[in-house]
Amino acid sequence: MNIVACVKQVPDTEAQIKVKPDGSGIEEGGIKWVMNPYDEFGVEEALRLKEKNGGEVTIVSVGPQRAMETIRTALAMGADKGIHICDPAFDGADAYVTASALAAAIKAVPFDIVFCGQRAIDDDSAQVGAVLAELLGIPQVTVVTKFEFTDGAVKVIRPIEGAQLLIECPLPCVVTAQKGLNEPRYASLPGIMKAKKKPVEVKDAAVLGVSTEGKAKVARFVPPPARAAGKIICGDGTPEGKAAELAKLLREEAKVI
Amino acid sequence: MANLILDPRDQRFVLYEMLNVEELCKAPLYADFSRDMFDMALNEAEKFAASAIFPALAEGDREGCRLEAGNVFVPKCYHRCMQIYREGGWGTMSVSPETGGQGFPHVISVAAKEWFSHNTAFVNYVSLTEGAAHLVEVYGTEVQKKKYLPKMHASEWGGTMALTEAGAGTDVGNLKTKAIRQPDGTFRLQGTKIFITAGDSDLMENIIHPVLARIEGDPPGTGGISIFLVPKYLINDDGTPGKRNDFTIGSLEEKMGLHGSATCTINLGDNGECCAELLGEERQGMKIMFQMMNGARIGVGIQSLSSASIAYLHALQYAKERLQGSSLMEMKNPAAPRVSIIQHPDVRRMLIWMKAHTEGFRALLYFAALCADRCLATDDEAEKDKYNGFLEVLTPICKAYCSDMGFRVTETAIQVYGGYGYCAEYPVEQFLRDEKIASIYEGTNGIQALDLVGRKLGLKKGMYFMNLLGEMGLTIAKYQPALPDLAPDVQAAMNILAETAMLFAASGKAGKFLIPVANAYPFLMLMGQVVTAWLLLWEAGVAKEKLAAPDGGGADKLFYEGKVATARYFIKHVLPEVDAAAKAIKSEDVSMMEIADEAFAS
Ligand SMILES: Cc1cc2nc3c(=O)[nH]c(=O)nc-3n(C[C@H](O)[C@H](O)[C@H](O)COP(=O)(O)OP(=O)(O)OC[C@H]3O[C@@H](n4cnc5c(N)ncnc54)[C@H](O)[C@@H]3O)c2cc1C
Repeated sequence: MNIVACVKQVPDTEAQIKVKPDGSGIEEGGIKWVMNPYDEFGVEEALRLKEKNGGEVTIVSVGPQRAMETIRTALAMGADKGIHICDPAFDGADAYVTASALAAAIKAVPFDIVFCGQRAIDDDSAQVGAVLAELLGIPQVTVVTKFEFTDGAVKVIRPIEGAQLLIECPLPCVVTAQKGLNEPRYASLPGIMKAKKKPVEVKDAAVLGVSTEGKAKVARFVPPPARAAGKIICGDGTPEGKAAELAKLLREEAKVI
Repeated sequence: MANLILDPRDQRFVLYEMLNVEELCKAPLYADFSRDMFDMALNEAEKFAASAIFPALAEGDREGCRLEAGNVFVPKCYHRCMQIYREGGWGTMSVSPETGGQGFPHVISVAAKEWFSHNTAFVNYVSLTEGAAHLVEVYGTEVQKKKYLPKMHASEWGGTMALTEAGAGTDVGNLKTKAIRQPDGTFRLQGTKIFITAGDSDLMENIIHPVLARIEGDPPGTGGISIFLVPKYLINDDGTPGKRNDFTIGSLEEKMGLHGSATCTINLGDNGECCAELLGEERQGMKIMFQMMNGARIGVGIQSLSSASIAYLHALQYAKERLQGSSLMEMKNPAAPRVSIIQHPDVRRMLIWMKAHTEGFRALLYFAALCADRCLATDDEAEKDKYNGFLEVLTPICKAYCSDMGFRVTETAIQVYGGYGYCAEYPVEQFLRDEKIASIYEGTNGIQALDLVGRKLGLKKGMYFMNLLGEMGLTIAKYQPALPDLAPDVQAAMNILAETAMLFAASGKAGKFLIPVANAYPFLMLMGQVVTAWLLLWEAGVAKEKLAAPDGGGADKLFYEGKVATARYFIKHVLPEVDAAAKAIKSEDVSMMEIADEAFAS
């Protein structure tokens, strides 16, 4: 089976994000970069599928040079080879451009199934998997918490409010992974040793023949407003006085009662 | 920073900016490696530590070990740690590829272990296994290697080190366990070992105990001791574990800390059937065990570094969050806003003291590990000898200075927390309880000091020690221009160290043995402070270079400035203690010997 898993390198969930003074992006210095956690579920499921059915797992990532670390991590987990789509023209690419680049790279290799994370934790757009499926012209099952492959078809569970959908889908298809799908393995030390020798192809926009013209334009990055200082209610110092002042403020300032 | 275990930025600083460990990859031995592989391994270590080993710290402390029907059960949460450890191949990170390992440089595996060792109660199970496997690798016969190594390397079978007996703690030579020779060349052991860490557990399918014992008829003292392999389950011809060997776990110690680590009494051969195989040659037991002990002493240093690091980062976080009192500037204003305690000078003093010591331990342990790697990586005999010499002289410092000062860092963390730190609801008191053992096991710190003064200083007629001083001198000269207010202080302290060592040598020659013996421990601590000052000066020198670059240190400016401030603090506030210690030693006062036993108390 030819299995593809798409990964994105994102800032660690606990990284302190600072917006550049000119609002053109975030300060990258000092940030720890990791594999998007939802993509980890996708890679893990891809590896399990390979372990059960044989075949090969190819990792595809769009990102600057440092994204190679994330590809190597996936190779150290057990994937077989990588494609690194690396071109300054893709810096700040929107979901459509990213998906076009992924689609072009994936079309050039044999594939039966493509795993993505359901969203990336940096821009939270949750679009790339869906756009990718459209561009590849294949069905998609998204936000998947359980995955099975039997008799040539995929059976997945997708939670919806108050219920679960059981969906069957033929191959080839795109599956986007949600938390709960599995517990991703750690890269082992022997895996890290082997990862170094696994092939990773580097491709740019020209080689892929895709346009880098996006559909969305980023106007400006702004940090969320700082939390306003709290107010200490003193009243006249008595409990009754405090309660009276609180009631007054709730009515007149907060306008909640 | 995402975790309170250690500061990855400082780890990377020591590895790549101070010690330039990538240089190692130029040697054929490490040619398969590169910085990105080191980083990947350390990232995995961090993930593993944050998601499994750290959560098991408090839980393991609460749950502790149980002895039921002769079997030891460890805290449940250790099983998951064990499984991840096994699957990750951590047990053989620095074992050579020819023997089935990954062959990482030791300096990288020490850095990885720093992530794990705050939970020493868990780590003891695996590190003793690695030490014991190393003994089999170096001294075992081909048959023994084939029988034991693959399973021990896979962390499926455990290992221990079984030296101590009731009458043989520090004085191992006094041990009574006897080995009775059998016609087939094997032995049967009889005796009782106490305090054996990981003496039994349900983490491993089998446990291979290296046990010290005396073959019947061999001379008393350390020269008559041999070492034996004693498996919990005897190995069948097909390699699987078979019959239970004849020894039992008599009891588990109730301890101050390290509750998840099983400290076992082992009764060997109650039925005369405790099967043992000789490891190496007869009467070479102490020499062989020392191979393991040297590694284990560095291990105790790592434990102490990790304890200090986790305690420091917790105290730092707490100091930023805890509001108490108002700013010194507003002393007279009762309505002044409350400030976080990190604003108070005395709290800052404690924090920078903890930071300086913790970062000094880190530099020391990584440097020591790098010496081991340099020694392995070169064919040049003179260079091998140089690095081996550094390692020999620094081992007692890594063990004793780091454990005693590491303990004080954990204590200071409690002080920063105030009353909350003393309460079990907060994590810092456990750090102190778990760390205390580090100054006791693997040879008490008093014994480390005697090893340093009685043996290490005099190795190769003092050349190893002199070489180390020479190395320090190079660093001081190199950074003198950038750090003119600090380098001379370190030079002066180094001179005091050299003079005190000379005084010891002269006292010995003049028959005044009590001077070096009774002052061995203060000397070790003095030397620890000089070594730390040297390493922190080195770090500050590197940081100064980065700050002088066109980008002024870039996004890391504050980090580098912190490095310089930390070195300055240590050199200006801690290093002067060296003068006092030297003054005391030079006085040649031996009142501790002159006071009569009866006069200690009436
Ligand atoms: C939790 C724990 C785990 C342990 N794990 C192991 C293990 O896995 N394997 C193992 O074999 N042992 C183990 N030990 C034993 C440990 O190594 C010994 O406790 C230690 O070596 C000290 O021996 P002792 O307790 O008999 O103290 P003693 O030897 O009685 O020492 C008491 C004091 O006297 C001092 N002293 C003794 N002799 C001298 C001397 N000649 N000169 C100067 N000072 C001296 C010591 O420094 C110490 O301060 C463990 C102990 C504990 C508590």
